[in-house]
Amino acid sequence: MRPFSYARPASLGETFDLLDSAGPGEIRPLVGGTDLIVGLQSGRIRPDVVVDLKHLADLPAGIEQVDGRLRISAPTSLTDIIGDARIRTWFPALAEAASTVGSVQIRNRASLTGNICNASPAFDTGPALLVHDAVVLLSSRDGDRRVPVADFVLGPRRTDLRAGEIATAVELPVPETPLRASFARLTRRRGVDLATLSLCCVVGPRRTRFAFGAVAPRPFVVDDDSGVLADPSSSPEDRDEVLRAMTAQASPITDVRGGADYRQAMLLVLGRRALAAARSRPVQSQPDGAR
Amino acid sequence: MSAPQIGVSTRRVGGRERVTGRQRFVGDVRLDNLLHVRLVTLDCARARIVAIDTTDAERVAGVRAVLTAADLPDPMPRFGPVYADRPVLAVGETRFHGEPVAAVAAETEEAAEEAAALVRVTVEELPAVLTVERALDPDAPLVQDPCLRKGPLAQTNTLREWHFGWGDVDAASAPCVVENTYTFPMVTHFAIEPHVFLASADHDGVTVWSAIQHPYLLQSTIATLLGLPIAKVRVIAPDPGGAFGGKQHAKFEPLVAFLALRTGRPCRLALTLAQTFQAVRRTAYRVRMRTGFAADGTIRFQDVVTDGLLGAYADIGVRVISKSTYLMCGPYRVPDARVHVRALLSHTPPATAFRGFGTPQVAWAVESQMDEAARRLGIDRLAIRLRNLAHRGEEVVRGDKPADGDWHEAVHKAAEAIGWGNPLPPGRGRGIGVAIKSSATTGASYAIVRLHMDGSATVMAGTSDMGQGARTVLAQIAANELGLTTDAVQVVMGDTGVAPFDLQTSASRSTVFMGTAVAEACRDVKRQLAGMATRAFGADDVGVGNGTVAVEGRTLSFPDLLVAGFAGVRGEVIGVGSRRGEADTAHPLGGAPSFYEFNCTAVEVEVDRETGELLIVKHVSVADVGKALNPAHVEAQDEGAAIMGLGHTLMEHLIFDEHGRIVNLGALDYRIPTTKDLPLELHSLLVENEDGPGPYGAKGAGEGGLFAVSPAVAAAVTEATGAVIRELPLTAERVWRALRTEG
Ligand SMILES: Cc1cc2nc3c(=O)[nH]c(=O)nc-3n(C[C@H](O)[C@H](O)[C@H](O)COP(=O)(O)OP(=O)(O)OC[C@H]3O[C@@H](n4cnc5c(N)ncnc54)[C@H](O)[C@@H]3O)c2cc1C
Repeated sequence: MRPFSYARPASLGETFDLLDSAGPGEIRPLVGGTDLIVGLQSGRIRPDVVVDLKHLADLPAGIEQVDGRLRISAPTSLTDIIGDARIRTWFPALAEAASTVGSVQIRNRASLTGNICNASPAFDTGPALLVHDAVVLLSSRDGDRRVPVADFVLGPRRTDLRAGEIATAVELPVPETPLRASFARLTRRRGVDLATLSLCCVVGPRRTRFAFGAVAPRPFVVDDDSGVLADPSSSPEDRDEVLRAMTAQASPITDVRGGADYRQAMLLVLGRRALAAARSRPVQSQPDGAR
Repeated sequence: MSAPQIGVSTRRVGGRERVTGRQRFVGDVRLDNLLHVRLVTLDCARARIVAIDTTDAERVAGVRAVLTAADLPDPMPRFGPVYADRPVLAVGETRFHGEPVAAVAAETEEAAEEAAALVRVTVEELPAVLTVERALDPDAPLVQDPCLRKGPLAQTNTLREWHFGWGDVDAASAPCVVENTYTFPMVTHFAIEPHVFLASADHDGVTVWSAIQHPYLLQSTIATLLGLPIAKVRVIAPDPGGAFGGKQHAKFEPLVAFLALRTGRPCRLALTLAQTFQAVRRTAYRVRMRTGFAADGTIRFQDVVTDGLLGAYADIGVRVISKSTYLMCGPYRVPDARVHVRALLSHTPPATAFRGFGTPQVAWAVESQMDEAARRLGIDRLAIRLRNLAHRGEEVVRGDKPADGDWHEAVHKAAEAIGWGNPLPPGRGRGIGVAIKSSATTGASYAIVRLHMDGSATVMAGTSDMGQGARTVLAQIAANELGLTTDAVQVVMGDTGVAPFDLQTSASRSTVFMGTAVAEACRDVKRQLAGMATRAFGADDVGVGNGTVAVEGRTLSFPDLLVAGFAGVRGEVIGVGSRRGEADTAHPLGGAPSFYEFNCTAVEVEVDRETGELLIVKHVSVADVGKALNPAHVEAQDEGAAIMGLGHTLMEHLIFDEHGRIVNLGALDYRIPTTKDLPLELHSLLVENEDGPGPYGAKGAGEGGLFAVSPAVAAAVTEATGAVIRELPLTAERVWRALRTEG
């Protein structure tokens, strides 16, 4: 591990000062550290400064509802996200996906923004964030900008994060009509594993949307606008044909986690299962205890 | 006199400390004035070392030594338990990924790390031998320098070969001949505690700290390498945090000792988990097996060629191969057998012992053959095993020790527990497998038991307690013999300067060998107590029991007798005991096994036909242990072994790239089972006929649970789906592929 200094700013202003004083690649934000520490230890990431975002007075951990959106601030842990009734009701696939990340210990530390900013092709919340139209709120001294997660993650370990910027929150539009969504994932073992592939499915009144993870340089969305997948009376053969066309857009690679052909085949198998799960899901529009 | 201490599940000595983090592991040893060591390694398995430039590394503040082969004696000192072939540092050429070419000692870990990165090594990468096929290829490069080897095999990558067998296989015939090839991959031990080595030298010799299974072998290795008398080398071996065979023999202790001598300072090297993968690994096998069966399933012959893939140095892997394949016919009666075995060298980390000592590799082939024969002949898979399984007293190797247990009882128990023959839900299958392992053959264990004035006792034994519970069981034996509670016994181990010689902690031998030595030392104490009673009371009629002495009708406790015998001067009674297994040079293994470790494993497995994923619904392991001295411990060991067996069955294997680098180097992509991967039900059952050579009829235990997991699970998959798989592990992807070719 290369030596680095550790900064713990108390406000966003101090954070921006630090960011502005460093050159590109020299400074790295830290939340849970569950990716960053691994990267530091292997030498893949070699910053001069690590800046901890968990102690900013004006960016506390938390989830709030603003203007029809649910805003999850950067330091919020996955455990807190999974436990939030609004998330579980409106974004069940995200709750499901987040609860597969690592282990209880990892989720107690890890953040959603960290999962996104790390930009692994296999990041587990990716497909759920995509089907739910999540947006990353990026902040710098010059102000804020909002970028959909689908555009923010550019490829393996690459994001649209600019110099001087950090991600301060993830925002999810609260759906007008309730969503029937599900998450599916393939791993090499049942406990604590990175995904061989993951996917999300949302079945609307007509449109069915899938997002796939770990089968392309970044998670991506495919829509079925034909209505076949959402149609309760469609035949399994017809649904399969549509699913096949959708999963054919993946470009999986062969690595230690699985062969490309296996991943491709499993996309269809898990796609079918996720579709069935989403279709059979009862719709609930209001979270328990929330208005 | 207290209640019996044997056959009861007393609490584990040191167990609470182990699970609360209070146990002091070797990594917790702190020495003053310590230097930190880092290894310099290359990015490939095999390379010619052209030049090493240490200038920049030496300039780093705090660096005290940068050691290369040039700084070590010429010829390079070499060591190893069977062949002294492993160099302290690579010289001329590296032979596996991770083999160090230099080492840095510095005041801080950071300085050592920085300097290690600044050692400039000019190399020329050379093609590496990574597989059985390549090792056998006459055109392949030689892994070891032929000058260092003797005999005609020196010009090949075959380190040794053996021909076992009896009868006449060529003359044997059978209506059903099953012929297949089975492979068992390289696997890492994955002890939770990584290897840590410390060494300190002074005018009076060298002290080495290492969580090692065989401290006395390490002691003589260091003595030989440094030219010191054994008495001047002290090995302190804190209880290891898991070993599984991976901590048997010297690794970097010699290097750290040389650094300590050179710098005049204590030195410490702690490996990362990734480095432990590169230090040693399990021996990989390819077994080509031709088995003849009569129409009723009786085995007619076994004709086998087994190739064991060693790493670059022989370590104890060479013995793993010979000892396991000596029982290549399994626990069965086989009229004719021919077993050709080769131990092959490769440019991979040294292959060593691994819980089971080659038996899981052998059982994978033997048991899969039994299943295939049963399917072909339309015989029940349980029935074909019972038909061939040796009964007590029947030979499994012609002319050698016959079956020493009621193995049929174990199989019936397993079959009953798994519900063999009951209807199965769709998508499920069952499998059953049996196996035997030859236990320790030769070897010696010595123990000292000191009976103190108050009747409590100290046991000094050189066994390593790596989690298997040796401290507890030795305390139980001493307590039982001396009429104490286990709490009143202190077991001192892990220090060659204190405890007497023990050859090794392996082969499930400690309860039998060291246990016997401790029991004998207790008897020695009792003999001395009888003499003391005779002298103190002038009595001839003295009877020493467990904890009490009868003197002419009077019953005294040990402390009463000691007070009378030692009077005001005080003292203690020191008993000595030993158990030796002498060498038999005529025996192919150098000595007959002292007992067989037998296991029967049965599983019920659910297969997801679409993804290939397996779910172990039920898992039964039955061990023939003779007598469970501590039933809870035996069951825990057996369960641990069963789960470890599921690891190599379902997910574990080291994957190499073309440069000989381990691709899944570390916890991220090398998968071991987690609690979520356990069988839904796991049962450990014991057979206790008190027919072992150890104290109270005990046999060794703790390895058996691994033996037959793979063939049992694979057979269950076949029953559920029709797919037959002959390579491990049975990953979801591999099962899926097999199902696709199945149609
Ligand atoms: C044992 C283990 C198991 C794991 N299992 C899974 C799994 O199953 N699925 C999965 O998807 N992941 C897994 N991970 C990866 C990791 O836990 C997740 O990606 C996690 O969500 C990262 O969050 P964090 O807060 O710890 O990120 P950090 O490690 O703190 O940061 C991750 C990266 O994002 C950057 N970053 C963090 N916050 C910001 C910000 N606000 N603005 C800009 N950049 C930022 C950091 O500089 C760093 O490059 C696992 C990790 C471990 C160690």
